[in-house]
Amino acid sequence: MAKQYGFYYDAGRCIQCRTCELACKGTRGLEPGVKWRRVVETWDGEYPDVTRTFFSLACMHCDKPACAAVCPTGAITKRAEDGIVVVDRDKCNGCQDCLAACPFGVPQFGVDGIMQKCDFCIETDRKPACAVSCPAEALRYGTIDELLEMVPDKNTQRMDGATGPSIIIVK
Amino acid sequence: MSTKNDDFKEEISFKQTMKPEERMIPTFCSLCGPSMGCGLNCYVQDGRLVRVEGMKESPINKGKLCLKAFASMQWLYSPQRLKYPLKRVGKKGEGKFERVTWDEALDLIADKLKEQKEKYGPESLAILSPQARTYKSYFIRFLTAHGSPNYCHSGICAIQRAFGFAYTVAAPMLGMAGADYEHADLIVVWGANPVYAGAPTGNLKKILDAKERGAKLVVIKPEMQPDAAKADMWLPIRPGTDGALALAMLNVIINEHLYDAEFVSRWCYGFDKLVPHIQKYTPEWAEPITGLPAEQIREVARLYGTAGSACILAGNAFDQVVDSNNAIRAVAILIAISGNLDRPGGNIVPMESSMPMPKPVTLHKRYTQEFIDKLVGPEMPRCFQPFIEGISSAYYRCLDSVLTGEPYPIKTIIAPGTQPTVITRGSRRIVEALKKLEFFVVIDVMQTSSMPWADVVIPVTTMYECDHPFEVPMGGTGNWIMARNKVIEPLGDYKSDYEFWLDLGVKMGYGEDFWHGNIEECMNYQLENFGMTMDELRKYPTGIIYEPKPMVYEKYDEFLTAPSPRLSGAPYLPQGKVAIYNTSFEENGFNPLPEWVEPPESPTGTPELLGKYPLVLFDSHTSEAYNHGWLRNVPYLREIQPEPWIHIHPDTARQRGINDGDWVIVESPHGWIKVKALYFPGIRPDTIMSLHGWWQGCSELGLPGYPLLDGGANVNVLYSIDPDKAFDPVVTAMPKQTLVEVRKAENNG
Repeated sequence: MAKQYGFYYDAGRCIQCRTCELACKGTRGLEPGVKWRRVVETWDGEYPDVTRTFFSLACMHCDKPACAAVCPTGAITKRAEDGIVVVDRDKCNGCQDCLAACPFGVPQFGVDGIMQKCDFCIETDRKPACAVSCPAEALRYGTIDELLEMVPDKNTQRMDGATGPSIIIVK
Repeated sequence: MSTKNDDFKEEISFKQTMKPEERMIPTFCSLCGPSMGCGLNCYVQDGRLVRVEGMKESPINKGKLCLKAFASMQWLYSPQRLKYPLKRVGKKGEGKFERVTWDEALDLIADKLKEQKEKYGPESLAILSPQARTYKSYFIRFLTAHGSPNYCHSGICAIQRAFGFAYTVAAPMLGMAGADYEHADLIVVWGANPVYAGAPTGNLKKILDAKERGAKLVVIKPEMQPDAAKADMWLPIRPGTDGALALAMLNVIINEHLYDAEFVSRWCYGFDKLVPHIQKYTPEWAEPITGLPAEQIREVARLYGTAGSACILAGNAFDQVVDSNNAIRAVAILIAISGNLDRPGGNIVPMESSMPMPKPVTLHKRYTQEFIDKLVGPEMPRCFQPFIEGISSAYYRCLDSVLTGEPYPIKTIIAPGTQPTVITRGSRRIVEALKKLEFFVVIDVMQTSSMPWADVVIPVTTMYECDHPFEVPMGGTGNWIMARNKVIEPLGDYKSDYEFWLDLGVKMGYGEDFWHGNIEECMNYQLENFGMTMDELRKYPTGIIYEPKPMVYEKYDEFLTAPSPRLSGAPYLPQGKVAIYNTSFEENGFNPLPEWVEPPESPTGTPELLGKYPLVLFDSHTSEAYNHGWLRNVPYLREIQPEPWIHIHPDTARQRGINDGDWVIVESPHGWIKVKALYFPGIRPDTIMSLHGWWQGCSELGLPGYPLLDGGANVNVLYSIDPDKAFDPVVTAMPKQTLVEVRKAENNG
């Protein structure tokens, strides 16, 4: 299998500080309202036995990207060399079919109406700002193979999903 | 835990390259305090700051940052930045100003101060404390040179905790910076938030690492903030009752003999007096006060008493309660008698590093008793002054003197980087004081909520626009020194805070004390102990790191006899032992043993109010997006929390017909605000929580600002300022707890 880059996410260490969200926005100069990465939360149980869990969500750079499959203009492609899913903004017609297809609600649309999302910082030629900035070390980046082994003490696995999301999570 | 992250092999597509036109300039952040700030690598393109990243070389943040730093470009280039010095041309409060030159602005201030010094005495000048930054030392120097003792510290942050710990265990920072997470079997985060405050500075990572190696985490706070979501045990305590919990924990630990008898007999004074005193503070007594089941109180006490090694991070909750000094002393005694004082995994007294200390900017050696006697509203009683920051009045009391004239009225207040209209209690009274005040100077980078009442407004550089000072971590245990580097040219007609105080000193005729206005000489003076000049320090772009000294535990002989900063230099602890029974307090008319004091309004203290005001309200001073009255104008942050809010339990809201996201009126016996109700399943159903500091709009997002008083979103209008009920008698601490009712706003927009 060709090389596949992705993220590692340890929900046990994420404390919803939103550094990843803003590292992304600030480094990439995103417009307000648009989030290439966001931390979502889930509440369960009844007070006082409640639990609160977080998930730092960005493009999963899936094996079989549902967004690309439905894109009528061929604007969304998966790069052969590293598996990163990219958008050709010149080709995008803003139909938002990708948003409807994405199981994670990732595609974003700013004032220009053209789809935008995480490109793994390849456009900047730098490491993904979200992962390198995480003060809790909950978020990491690398190839899927490396990420599975990156934290030897943790029981990790690739997240399940029909589209084959490129994210390693802690069991 | 070992990871391969640090030496992760870079692939070609991730070369850490800069665009050819980008220039990297290292500096450090100052968006929050009080700390040296995190190391920042700033990238500049065509003279404009385009992005930041964490500085790997910094021992403070080790390459990490928080979200505020990543939003700081929008802060720097905000349309709300002040542009040039201003003088008032309209009525006070009207907010009409005209541009003046720096020379005119300095003359306006200097002439007024000279006139008032002659007419009312130099003590008629007071300067309010900002969130601690290094420029604080410069205005304390100015006050001393001028002859005023009135440095006015908040009375609600950090110094309150430091005082309680200092006069109980002679280690002021024990509860704030003394937790030995790496070796603890149990970590107690108590009324603190290591996520919203200083997340990149390491504590958070240490807590998470400790948990992974099996340490237990207990979090004590009224709502399930993200740190509490990670806890093995969350105690949703009723706001303002942490002191009652600490006393009940002492009761259990003593009566169940879970204390370290050997340590108590060798290193504690007055334990025998505590034993009978504590009997009334049973878990059953604490249950209705704290809202925690007695069994849970027993459980946490036993857990703490038997953990082996347990450390406590005691937060801001202890500074903002009327029983502050009692609550902190109770916690300090818990640490000591449980055998967790300066032992591995307990609360420790950190070691100094081999780094020399810079020569102080303050003129503390000039303090006299007469100076102390002149304080307008001592933050702690005169007999306990000076304390670690020098001598201080309390922020609120200084403003109050303008109205009462007691013991004398302050005539000029300077507010550098602080907004009395939103960050202290009793906003209505504060606005009255600002109206009446003879002369008011605001110093800031941004338009502020207090500016409309200013006579002169001084615009200063941000941290990105000046090339000084150097900084070292606060607290004397740091090991890093670095010179600030100028990242961009100033965007307006600015001086730095540091230059302002030097220039004003010269204008006042105090040039001898202010390096004749030469900032480079001022820096070089402070660096003498390092044997280098500022220019030489600049040759180390990311600063110099000194070796920390190896940790030594159980330094009781050393620190329990430490001298206090009082003029006498008398030790904090007259017996050289932990002051369980505090003879210094007793001699000065305060309770030698910690006791429980109810908030001004509370379910158990004022049950008669519950019919009309059935809910407890409190607030936080920091959220993930903001601290204090800052940063609401920054679009990236504002979109995280666009509107002022309360967290409310869904059941509590539904009983009142309030939907998630409805605008609601929150009314206390003292005032009302209009905010958005956010459903929050992890908060006590009898309690709602808000955030202080709301006033500012965000023009880029088209979001409005809010009125400062009733009907606005300023939570400080809701609290008691009753002189008999709203102040801790020892450390001034003003409570942030009251009773309220919430109802849906009629005009829900």
